[in-house]
Amino acid sequence: MEESPLHPFELHNYFPINLGGLDISINKAVLIMWVVVALVAVLMVRAGSARKLVPGKLQILAEMLVEFIRGIILDTMGEGGMKFFPLIATLFLFILFCNLIGLIPGSYTVTSQIVVTAVFATVVYGLSLVMGFVLHGVKFLGILVPPGTPGWLLPLMVPIELISQLARPISLAVRLFANMTAGHVILGVLFGLAISGGLVIGWLPFAFTIAMNGLEVGIAFIQAYIFTVLTCVYLGDAFHLHGHDEHAH
Amino acid sequence: MPQFESHFFSSLIFWEIVSFAILFFVLYKYAFPGILGILEEREKKIKDSLDQAERHRSEAERRLKEYEAKLSAVGKEAEGILLAAKERAQRLMEENEQRLTSEAERIKGDATRQIEQERRKALQDIRAQTTELALMVAEKVVQRSLVEADHKKYADEALEALSKSQPR
Repeated sequence: MEESPLHPFELHNYFPINLGGLDISINKAVLIMWVVVALVAVLMVRAGSARKLVPGKLQILAEMLVEFIRGIILDTMGEGGMKFFPLIATLFLFILFCNLIGLIPGSYTVTSQIVVTAVFATVVYGLSLVMGFVLHGVKFLGILVPPGTPGWLLPLMVPIELISQLARPISLAVRLFANMTAGHVILGVLFGLAISGGLVIGWLPFAFTIAMNGLEVGIAFIQAYIFTVLTCVYLGDAFHLHGHDEHAH
Repeated sequence: MPQFESHFFSSLIFWEIVSFAILFFVLYKYAFPGILGILEEREKKIKDSLDQAERHRSEAERRLKEYEAKLSAVGKEAEGILLAAKERAQRLMEENEQRLTSEAERIKGDATRQIEQERRKALQDIRAQTTELALMVAEKVVQRSLVEADHKKYADEALEALSKSQPR
């Protein structure tokens, strides 16, 4: 019996593959990714091809998700942000389903791998930088100067803003990873207590695992939501450069 | 922590990017256009229905106003017709009355004239007959023949006396 609460995060190669020196072996996390891709694709494609004016249950679920993401984008980026809808929606659905599937006992939480969240964060932040420079050119460096900053404060403000900018992808990656990891560690610890406590006292931590599991479902949603909102905010910052006032141009 | 075992990084990154790309492509191509399209369609349908309802309502209101205006116009017209009819009846009545009055007047005048004529004629007849009667009576009483002129003279005198003693 494995004692460590970190045991659920361990990976083992099921099927070693080597692509030109690159190790792309299949492990549990990869399998779960495929499951997520298949689930999301089936749900959304079936809903998308139903196209009924009076929707069925599946279509309603898919429409709710789409409407939810659309709301986030419109709130943070405005009408122009809908260009990024496919990317942001795919990101949200991928992360949400990774989080949720991870809660099924015996499966794996892909988003508890820091490297997975880091790739998402890097892609999102990189995209915001690229878009900012493409849209605004060198003027995009003005994102380091908050509007209304007096000239003599610049030597102070620019480093602060630079740090806050650099913190964005790191916080984005670490937040999701840490939340997913911590939730599962707590579940693992509580369940370990339940097992070792036996029937006399063990029911108490066991009851807590059930409560925590419910909480974790909420967290799975919230973290996917936060990741998506922040993605929209970062992209929106690059899109509008200094606030929403400009998006009327 | 097992998550920091860099041994798995390459495979995780590779498959994450591949999976995400596949999912993105599938959703972009087959799911989002349909779902966004139907959402938009439904939105448009609801908006259209609301617009239509609004249009129908204002149309109904307009019609109601129209009918009310028509109704009041008709009422006024009816009133006018009634008034005209009343006036006409009044006029006809007055006309009739006048006509009847004048007719009666005329008939009365005619009758008076006729009566007068008859009376004159009767008087003349009476005069003539009286003359003759008087002559006959005179002839019988006097038993003698007189000259025609004298006869007439006597008769006239007798008549004069008669009409003086009994005027009209």
